[in-house]
Amino acid sequence: MIYKHLRINLIGFLVVLFTAFSASAQVSADAGKTLFKNYCASCHNKDMRSAATGPALGGVQAFWGDDVALYSWIRNSQELIKKGHPKAVEIWNQYKPTIMTAFPDLTDDEIGSLLAYINGVYDGTYGAKPVAAGTAATDEAPKEKSSFPIYVAIAVVLAILALLLAKIISNLNVLAEAKEGKDAKAKTLSQILTSKSVISFLIFAGIILGAYTTVHKSVELGRQEGYAPEQPIKFSHATHAGVNKIDCQYCHDSARRSKHSSIPSTNTCMNCHAAIKNGSKYGTAEITKIYASIGYDPINNKYIENYDEMSEDDIRALYTKWIGDEYKREKELADLDEEGDKQVAVQWANIKKSLTNPNKSKIQGPIEWIRIHSLPDHVYFNHSQHVTVGKLECQTCHGPVEKMEVLTQMSPLSMGWCVNCHRQTEVKFNDNDYYKSYKRFHEELASGKRDKVTVEDIGGIECQKCHY
Amino acid sequence: MKKQIDNIWIGQQDLTNDEEFINSAGKEFAQDQVEYYDMPAHLSGNRRDFLKFLGFGLGAATIAAGCDIPVKRAIPYVVKPEEIVPGVANYYASVYVNGGDYCPVLVKTREGRPIKIEGNDMSSITNGGTSARAQASVLSLYDTNRFTGPKEKDGASWVESTWEKLDGLIRAKLNGAKAIRVVTNTIMSPTAKKALEEFTTKYTNAKVVTYDPVSSSALLDANQKNFGIRAIPSYKFDMAEVIVSFDADFLGTWISPVEYAAAYAKGRKITNAEQPKMSRHIQVENHMSLTGSNADNRILVKPSEQGVAIAHLYNEIAGGGMSTSGLNDRAKQNLSKVAKELKAAAGKSIVVSASNNVNEQLMINAINNALGNFGTTIDWSKPSYQRQGNDADLKTFATDLKAGNVDFVIFWGANPVYDSAYGTDIAASLSKAKTSISMALTNDDTTDLCTIVTPTTHYLESWGDVEAKKGSFNIIQPTISPLFDVREAELSFLIWANSEGIDKTKDQPYYEYLKENWKNTVFKSQSEFGSFQGFWDSTVHDGVFEASVSSGPAYSSAEIGSNITKPATSELEISFFETVHMGNGQFAGNPWLMEMADPVARTVWGNYLAVPVNFDGVRTMVGLNDLKDGDLVELTIGDMKVVLPVIQQFGQMPGTVALALGYGRKMAGNTGSNVGVNVNGSLTMGADGPQYFNTNVSVSGKVGKEKDFSCVQYHHTIGVRGIDAETNKEINVDESALVFFDYFTGVKGFQGALTDRSVIYTSNVKDLKNSIEHLHEKRKEAQHLNEQQIYRGYDHLYTLGHHWGMHVDLNACIGCGACTVACMSENNVPVVGKHEVSIHHEMTWLRIDRYYYGDVENPNTVYQPMMCQHCDNAPCENVCPVNATNHSSEGLNQMAYNRCIGTRYCANNCPYKVRRFNWLDYTKADLWPINQPRLQEESIPFGADNLTRMVLNPDVTVRSRGVIEKCSFCVQRIQEGKLTAKIEGRPLIDRDVRTACQTACPTGAITFGDLNNKEGDLNARMESPLNYIVLEETNVRSTVTYTMKVNNRDQSFDA
Repeated sequence: MIYKHLRINLIGFLVVLFTAFSASAQVSADAGKTLFKNYCASCHNKDMRSAATGPALGGVQAFWGDDVALYSWIRNSQELIKKGHPKAVEIWNQYKPTIMTAFPDLTDDEIGSLLAYINGVYDGTYGAKPVAAGTAATDEAPKEKSSFPIYVAIAVVLAILALLLAKIISNLNVLAEAKEGKDAKAKTLSQILTSKSVISFLIFAGIILGAYTTVHKSVELGRQEGYAPEQPIKFSHATHAGVNKIDCQYCHDSARRSKHSSIPSTNTCMNCHAAIKNGSKYGTAEITKIYASIGYDPINNKYIENYDEMSEDDIRALYTKWIGDEYKREKELADLDEEGDKQVAVQWANIKKSLTNPNKSKIQGPIEWIRIHSLPDHVYFNHSQHVTVGKLECQTCHGPVEKMEVLTQMSPLSMGWCVNCHRQTEVKFNDNDYYKSYKRFHEELASGKRDKVTVEDIGGIECQKCHY
Repeated sequence: MKKQIDNIWIGQQDLTNDEEFINSAGKEFAQDQVEYYDMPAHLSGNRRDFLKFLGFGLGAATIAAGCDIPVKRAIPYVVKPEEIVPGVANYYASVYVNGGDYCPVLVKTREGRPIKIEGNDMSSITNGGTSARAQASVLSLYDTNRFTGPKEKDGASWVESTWEKLDGLIRAKLNGAKAIRVVTNTIMSPTAKKALEEFTTKYTNAKVVTYDPVSSSALLDANQKNFGIRAIPSYKFDMAEVIVSFDADFLGTWISPVEYAAAYAKGRKITNAEQPKMSRHIQVENHMSLTGSNADNRILVKPSEQGVAIAHLYNEIAGGGMSTSGLNDRAKQNLSKVAKELKAAAGKSIVVSASNNVNEQLMINAINNALGNFGTTIDWSKPSYQRQGNDADLKTFATDLKAGNVDFVIFWGANPVYDSAYGTDIAASLSKAKTSISMALTNDDTTDLCTIVTPTTHYLESWGDVEAKKGSFNIIQPTISPLFDVREAELSFLIWANSEGIDKTKDQPYYEYLKENWKNTVFKSQSEFGSFQGFWDSTVHDGVFEASVSSGPAYSSAEIGSNITKPATSELEISFFETVHMGNGQFAGNPWLMEMADPVARTVWGNYLAVPVNFDGVRTMVGLNDLKDGDLVELTIGDMKVVLPVIQQFGQMPGTVALALGYGRKMAGNTGSNVGVNVNGSLTMGADGPQYFNTNVSVSGKVGKEKDFSCVQYHHTIGVRGIDAETNKEINVDESALVFFDYFTGVKGFQGALTDRSVIYTSNVKDLKNSIEHLHEKRKEAQHLNEQQIYRGYDHLYTLGHHWGMHVDLNACIGCGACTVACMSENNVPVVGKHEVSIHHEMTWLRIDRYYYGDVENPNTVYQPMMCQHCDNAPCENVCPVNATNHSSEGLNQMAYNRCIGTRYCANNCPYKVRRFNWLDYTKADLWPINQPRLQEESIPFGADNLTRMVLNPDVTVRSRGVIEKCSFCVQRIQEGKLTAKIEGRPLIDRDVRTACQTACPTGAITFGDLNNKEGDLNARMESPLNYIVLEETNVRSTVTYTMKVNNRDQSFDA
């Protein structure tokens, strides 16, 4: 009896131990991912292979070779630099004046998790999912063959057939009348075409076609699929989300907790662009707009006090100097050449044009982006419902944003489009205790009577889910 | 002559089967009355015009189709404040204060805009309840009439000025002034008082004059004599078994109605139907007040008899020997009965009075003392500071001003030219003061006569504090930065006093001052917190701080003089009363309150003279001078003559008429100016201050008919009965339209109509058992009928997920109307103006129907909040040709505005008459301005300008012309609550979803919830045997349940 009891205890203990181990082993890389997203991803590249604001993190342990130093570097890099650790100084020389944020609160376990995740991604053992589930649309899907030419061919054949029949009837009529001894002439083609029946048929067809087109087109009024306006800043999602693999929700941070996904505020841009001052594609032309909006002095690396009251001339003086300086540095010139002067003038004119409009005369202040995804006022849409609860990828509705140089609206955002998705999409029914009240569905799922619960099944296409 | 009616009625017309009324009840939309406003010539066309427009329309549509979609901009923050997430509401604790009006609130803000007021349930005074005034206060923040900055008068016109310039000017003038007066209403803020003290210390010839628009001065003076403290005790209505009120409207307007209502309702709810217990409430008054309408028995006395009525009770209970000659016999008898009841409930009773006569209030205190109520139901340990006005001070001020002895006046939040008894005097002699400053938010009758305006901030833009009761502190915190160039009044006083506590270089100098004051006072008096910052943060977060209090003063008797109100011998008397929504005119500029129906009279936009109706002994109800609702009369009070409309008021004592205060302001913005008549000049001046009645009054016969008579109780009537003229049997008035005439037999009859509708069930508490049996029988009958049909319902559909339902406890509902304003605020319900209301176009989603029952001359009242019942077998749904209204799987009756084509079939088919049609574009939601109504001669409708539109709830669609709308059970809140639960990955609980009406209710009468949640509050309420469903026999399967109204009336009072 005692043995039996012991054995059970032992087995139980082993099971617990095993799960604890496997859990901790599993958790650490996953926990590392979360930590990385929260703390590191704003400066370090997600692919661990290329540098961003901060260096690529792949192989960081090998580079340092000394975990103690690495850990203290992560917790407070400046301290280590001051102490004169050779590796620390090496990195500092490469990246200064950008200071790595200190994370004194990270525990050893947390840093361990982080490193496990970094190593996992670097050597490909961490099961990094493909970026988007919804990118299939852009893959070379076989193009649906248009059936339009076939319809045209059929129409032509039918028209010819009709004409032939008309001609035959006409000839038969002539024969019949000739038999009765009347003098009759066969109808010519033009007579057939201008006959009463043909003309009334054409009018009828015209009305039908016109009505169809009118209805069809008016249903589409206000929709703007494929809309890709030029924005005040040539912001490239391809660079940020594609090349640098910045998480969508790093910038659009309210998507997970609000109805709006929100255009990021200028200070979010500054998290990285306080350091990255010269873009890979447009140089100073676009990034300076951020500075001019928020009032950052890129020459002295500080925010300008009372920027709101600064005159336009002062603003111009500051940023034209910055653009000029950068031009000179790149071209290794002592003074601005003619091309440089032109560059400065063009860039400044562009900055002014982008940051002002008839309703906003000052350069200072928000960047007024052009809204692309816009639902009518009587539609209620909530991002957090879809992103946090439904766990959808952004790309499901917005398309392969990470490949877009200029953001384009990929979906029609029409009601039919919404409803279709709600009809097909399966609710993550078992992961969320909220759905416990749908007892019958749970029973049906368990008994196999039902294989999935769609959004429609729980009322997802009822009017007042979106209109109120 | 008596007539006891078992059933309910709403007014004279349905009791007597008035033809005009029946016709109008049949015409829900009053189509024949619809007229168009300043319709331009080009829009009143013929067939040719129609074709022209058709052609133009087609052309325009074609061009529009070819055009680009307008460019919309998305403008992010430059630096996003950390606490703001666009699309997510933030709530801040604050306090709604307006003079003595007080309500701790949570302010809902979206993207930095306050849009809704909720009650703060951490407050020990209001416990999360709100009032209509508190709910509507958010709209006054966005009042287009607000002063945009300081102004100076140049001749007769106002000129913009600057703070620097005016501060210098005012300081110079203050230094040269010989008598300075600061006129205010009650100030409950300790820090504001400190600021005023600094001001009066600096300028020693300055004095603060405090008065209340409706005075409680005598009550305070009596308490001063009996308790040595000029304050008001805490009345614990929940502990009282017998409540006697002499004209005190403690549920609507008297002192602290939100607090009293909650406590009162506790004693009125039937929690155990087997052994029902409820308090008894006797109201002594002449006019049916909100409180009187909730009373079990009303003892009718003329206003001038109030003094002797109190004296009679005083003689019986405290053994005084006051003269009671002039008191009517019936009142005398009944008051003696009341005295017996009170004695039987000694220590468990409350006697209150609104009298403004010190001797009468001393008698009330003596009565309560004799009954041993002090210390049990009336608590002095936490005295209330909600009224502080002193009539004697105001009188002295008026006299001094008239004599030219005052040369510098500051009005802070006070409008004595309109709302005091000395208004005319002050108006006439204000020019004698060299400088007169107003600190008002908007131009009012007093401000208009001043020389300088230094506008103060709205409470939602201010820092401040409140001590409403001793030791109960609140912080007022701003929820938006000032919309205009305005400054807290307290700061102005401190700056003018050159206070050392003010550092003008600071961003918010008054905030620093307030904090410093708290550090030195409240913080020091507590021991819970060690650090001030911790204490401050916690208090600002909670909005409340409760300090410990010691016991209060004890009663000491004082000599009661013989000078009490003397009964008059005149034939007619008039009483003046304050209403829930208008106060004494302080709220006249608020469109939500202006369009809120008076709970009792159910009139809007103006004050109507309440005239009594008498039963003629046969079947006709006769109004005073044969006046009918909406007749215009000439009212003469003293030497004032006005023409105004009348309303027949049941329960109004014969020989008296009544009129509401607070109307007829000359300067109350676009909304309140010149609406109704002002009677503040006609108050009787008593020994201790103004008395709210007049005995020198006469009412003429009918001199005309009110053009836009607006009494909403006569609109959208459901199942109310009258007497059929032919058969002399009681019928439903809206069914008389269904009466058919059989040509073969010549008989009139009903086409299978239901003649016995269940709208209200009432019972006396002593008869409750029988009434419940009767109710259950009735319900069984209805349910049996409902089973005899082909339709079986889809009840099985609602067992999944949620099934939303509501429960309304009619015993808790006092009719205060907080929910109706909350509903307008939450759901962007438009204000339509008087004319539109008069033609049945009010847009309210939630109305509170008022029905009378019992004795026709002194009836009981029942209030019934009526909103969409979300019927599971909804008759509106299956008549919609476009399926714009249909049913959700959660039991909601959904309304898709964009699908609606405006046939109004649904409204026509709704048995509860809760659907509303947008006849015009009331909220500027249309593209075409021509669809907008012209109201009050404004260029655009109420709420259509960009400032006022900031109050709109961004989660609720703003409806345009031509669509039906109705209560949605606050579906936006349902969706939000569900989402919260989903994000947190847990089942939904009651707290997640609460409707706007539910959270606004001070008495907890409304419970909303999920019928499928067996543990929820709603299901607990559904077990009451008093429950019934309105119009259950129609088989619409409503999901709103009501309770039978129970009263504790003593029938022997009627003998």
